[in-house]
Amino acid sequence: MKIQNLSKEEVLKSLLTSDNGLSEEDAKRRLHEYGLNEIKEVRKRPLYLRLISQFTHFLAILLWISAFLCFLSEYLHPGEGMLSLGLAVVGVIVINAIFTFIQEYRAEKAVEALKRLLPFNVKVLRDGSVREIPAREVVPGDVFLLSEGDKVSADARLIEANRLMINNAPLTGESESKPRSYKPFEGDYLESPNIVFAGTLVVSGNGTATAFATGMSTEFGKIAHLTSAVEPGLSPLQKEILKVTKIIAVIALTTGIFFFGIGTVTGRSFWHNLLFAIGITIANVPEGLLPTVTLSLAMGSQRMARKKALIRTLTSVETLGSVTVICTDKTGTLTQNKMEVERIWTASDGTKVPPYPLCGKDMEGFSSYNRLITTAHLCNNAVYENGKYKGDPTEIAMLKAAREISDGIQSERIAEIPFDSERKRMTTVNVIHGETLVLTKGALETVLPLCSGILMDKEFKALDDESKKSLTTIYHSMMDDGLRVMAFAFKNIEPAHGMNMMQAEDLLEKDLVFVGLMGLEDPPRPEVPEAIKKCREAGIKVIMITGDASRTAVAIAKQIGLVKGMPAVIEGYEMDTKSDSSLREVLLSEEIIFARMSPRHKMRIVSVLQDEGERVAVTGDGVNDAPALKKADIGISMGIMGTDVAREAADMVLLDDNFATIVNAIEEGRTIFENIKKFITYIFAHGTPEAIPYIMFSIFKIPLPLTVMQILAIDLGTETIPALALGAEPPEAAIMRSPSRSSKITSPVKSGKKEIIDSFLLIRGYVFIGLISTIGVLFVYFYVLFKGGWQWGTVLPIDNPLTRQASTATFLGIVIMQIGNVFACRSSHESMFRLGIFSNKLVIIGIVVEVILSSFIIYHPFGNKIFGTAPLGLDVWLILIPFSALLLFAEEIRKAYIRRYK
Amino acid sequence: MYKNILAAVNEFTNSEIAARYAIALAKSCQARLSLVFVAEEKIGRDVFRHAESALERLFIEAEGQDIEVESITEKGDPLKKINDIVRGKNIDIVFTATRREDIQKRFFAKTLAREFMVKLPCSVAMVRVVRMGRIHPKNILVPLRANMTNLEERACFVAKLAQAFNSAVTLFYLTSPITSFFHGETYLNPAQREKHIPRDIENFTECLNRYDIHHEKKTGYGSVSRSITIEAAHRRNDLIVMGESERSLLRSIISGNPVEDVLRETPCNLIILRPEHEHR
Repeated sequence: MKIQNLSKEEVLKSLLTSDNGLSEEDAKRRLHEYGLNEIKEVRKRPLYLRLISQFTHFLAILLWISAFLCFLSEYLHPGEGMLSLGLAVVGVIVINAIFTFIQEYRAEKAVEALKRLLPFNVKVLRDGSVREIPAREVVPGDVFLLSEGDKVSADARLIEANRLMINNAPLTGESESKPRSYKPFEGDYLESPNIVFAGTLVVSGNGTATAFATGMSTEFGKIAHLTSAVEPGLSPLQKEILKVTKIIAVIALTTGIFFFGIGTVTGRSFWHNLLFAIGITIANVPEGLLPTVTLSLAMGSQRMARKKALIRTLTSVETLGSVTVICTDKTGTLTQNKMEVERIWTASDGTKVPPYPLCGKDMEGFSSYNRLITTAHLCNNAVYENGKYKGDPTEIAMLKAAREISDGIQSERIAEIPFDSERKRMTTVNVIHGETLVLTKGALETVLPLCSGILMDKEFKALDDESKKSLTTIYHSMMDDGLRVMAFAFKNIEPAHGMNMMQAEDLLEKDLVFVGLMGLEDPPRPEVPEAIKKCREAGIKVIMITGDASRTAVAIAKQIGLVKGMPAVIEGYEMDTKSDSSLREVLLSEEIIFARMSPRHKMRIVSVLQDEGERVAVTGDGVNDAPALKKADIGISMGIMGTDVAREAADMVLLDDNFATIVNAIEEGRTIFENIKKFITYIFAHGTPEAIPYIMFSIFKIPLPLTVMQILAIDLGTETIPALALGAEPPEAAIMRSPSRSSKITSPVKSGKKEIIDSFLLIRGYVFIGLISTIGVLFVYFYVLFKGGWQWGTVLPIDNPLTRQASTATFLGIVIMQIGNVFACRSSHESMFRLGIFSNKLVIIGIVVEVILSSFIIYHPFGNKIFGTAPLGLDVWLILIPFSALLLFAEEIRKAYIRRYK
Repeated sequence: MYKNILAAVNEFTNSEIAARYAIALAKSCQARLSLVFVAEEKIGRDVFRHAESALERLFIEAEGQDIEVESITEKGDPLKKINDIVRGKNIDIVFTATRREDIQKRFFAKTLAREFMVKLPCSVAMVRVVRMGRIHPKNILVPLRANMTNLEERACFVAKLAQAFNSAVTLFYLTSPITSFFHGETYLNPAQREKHIPRDIENFTECLNRYDIHHEKKTGYGSVSRSITIEAAHRRNDLIVMGESERSLLRSIISGNPVEDVLRETPCNLIILRPEHEHR
């Protein structure tokens, strides 16, 4: 026997309490046993550990090692600027760690928002008398009083209820209030009318309940537990960066060890070799990568905000691009949430479509239309006040239609059996012009069995099985057109009879006369079909999760192009009986709709999808959507309709609640991923012209071609803005026409998973572009040397003016080659001319800044002093330009080849 | 399997609820039940009255279910007295409840529940009650790990409890992703994970099958304690049954203790079972 099955006496007995409540002493003991009735956040990793982890991830460790090597090198061979480099690297680590920590540390306010839904004080019975105590002191077994406007403080079983109506919206998402009763109930615990849940609201009536669960063991506590316990793992980008770091580490270390070996073989001293190995290792570490990625994401989030998608966690910007499944609500997201009456059907007049072509006779006394409109108007809790409609959207639509047709109907309501999701109908007893009417509206399957007749041509006719069948067919055909369909019935009763029967629901709702159907429509948002099409082309599966009936859901899905054939439809009740494996099988279907769902099912759908390796975005607006929002790779809450709890739990907030905005954000996310690849190629490309001259310096004893400070000036100075400009490249035309870079986890190769760094990128960056750059750089380096009178084999000291000029030429060479490279990197396959040279203005600005900065380093005495540079003649610039053009030309040929043959 | 069951009762309601699990198990195993209250020195009259009332209620409840039951009240050190009863009456398993202050102590140091777990010469089921009222677990979550000992007893305990309440059982096994230096972590899908389920868990399943207990297997990734509590909260399990921690104090300090964490954060009632033979 469960708590909802028990009689009042059994409830009190099982909770070891009584009608008089607990004694103060018992309550004290139980408070000691069960703790305070409060929502707590689950234990998390302390903040200081989270900060420390920003300094200890793999790339940070790699940079720490680089910094250490710099300091070691400075110690062994002072005066080569290694100290500055070491300090700069430490600066990069610290700034990046703090920036990322601030970005990632988002105060967990979801649980705070949940707490706000619980009451502060509650009236309890202690030792037989009413006492007002802080709600946090309520204990299991406490008997507490409920009256209109109260928030429920704990999960409790009702032992008395007087016309008690509770709004369970925080738990179920349903806006309609439900009548509660103290009677034993045989059904499911969550659906039980004799249970009240913490966090819900007493809308009317009063009652007495005894608490059986408090604090975190309430249903509300479970939501809080799930919301705070689900912790996101590493984002796809973080995983990729980790992988990139490992590749870089291996490349850097291998290169260092390799040249240390070569040096040893060629007979150089140990210390010389060590210093050289350290230098070459450091040259391979892209110090600027981390800040560039972070800034690029920050810029991406700003662009998304302009598109009405507010990003709450920086890494989500890129995660969006990898989404493979979107689980979306229907109402308000796919549709406009503007319910309108679209069709009316009566047996007398058949179907009528607005604007209602009514004539006087339509509204005469006993016509079907009259009765239907009267019922829609009066069996309705929406109100029209001060020129505005208030209430449930479906009821508002019916009231609006009824008012437009009938111009207002005066009546007195003397009884009501409220709507609830179990009964799926509502009944009122109204007196109109002395006539007492029972008016019922609801789903056909619940209204039709109550009817014994039908109103046709102002006459009552018996409702036989055949008529019922044809009514059902009409009902289904309206649903198949995407309409939410309401059935209406009525009957006349004697006035006194009506009053006496107020308590007898069964008698009131018996032998009704069926009058007709009303089809309501929440029209799809106009942008949605195009967005769905984009998703289809982009290989993103869209799953509709709705509280609506399956036929309505399927019809809407067809209207917006979400489904083409007959989709797999799962209804809410099936979720409780379906095992994960059978749910998994359903989710493999191409087209799926979840109908009549409760938000609590969302998290399970998300979990099963994630288990199959999908990256899932899920939308939600209610309190109990919060766990699913936290669980999903991208939780999306609604900015307009969303609750505070949902917004706090989400990664992204849609400012316009529009599905199309999600798709735009995904497009932006994909673009950012591609752009990160672009600037990584750009950054990698300078590694070769930095490394090769350095190697030649070591092997061929040529003058030092590039100082450490000059490397630093490139990595953290001149390249930053052009790299960021690549991060701001607009989406390429085909970005949403290629499949999502899936996270299908078991077989990355088969699933076509795209990675940030692949062999193509490495070869293109380090070899193809890198070698062309090196040719230009070495040419200008030797040009300056030979022009200055240097002869092969002559050893020049570092502070020799010619050495400084030559290294400055190498520096400038890399800068100029990277100007060509930045244009080349704007697309891996599209011609720069097709993209438009000036289409990304930030690139132009980046180049201008790069040139100004380089000029300062080369021509300003301060720049010369810091970076060990010397002024160069115009001829050096002019020599480099054709090489830069050559790089661009070579890339254009490569791209043309790819476009043609791949 | 269990012939003699003992439920330790005190003045707190959670010990009464813990004893109800003992009643259910006794009924399912057709075992003899001893309801024991050991009054410590210097306890107040109220405390005594509460415990006696609880004993009486439980006695009536057990008797109403045709269980051979006895009620014992002793005075003295609870551990010593219960130890004596366990030895004297050949008790197979003792049910005891943890108190809220117990779980706030790290590693349960110096708690009576821990003393029972460590020192009693029989199996011990330590019950953490977070929800009052009648117990009716509809779905029992059983987290399992590889290299389990006393499989038969564990399976029997779960099966008999499930039989008593007509509950479904979900076996929950957490694994680690496959890792490689360059590719990082590779996560298998559930079908592939099923193939990697340790033999122990398969054996456990076979034991359950012998008792004809309907069960579902679930596998997952993530932090052990967090995943268990999330699963229980998400799938609305009414009861978690798990084994005691076998981590040493040092390992618990360094890498945490999942059992202790689950005890703290469980969203539903929890039974931690220490099977008899592990300590004999």
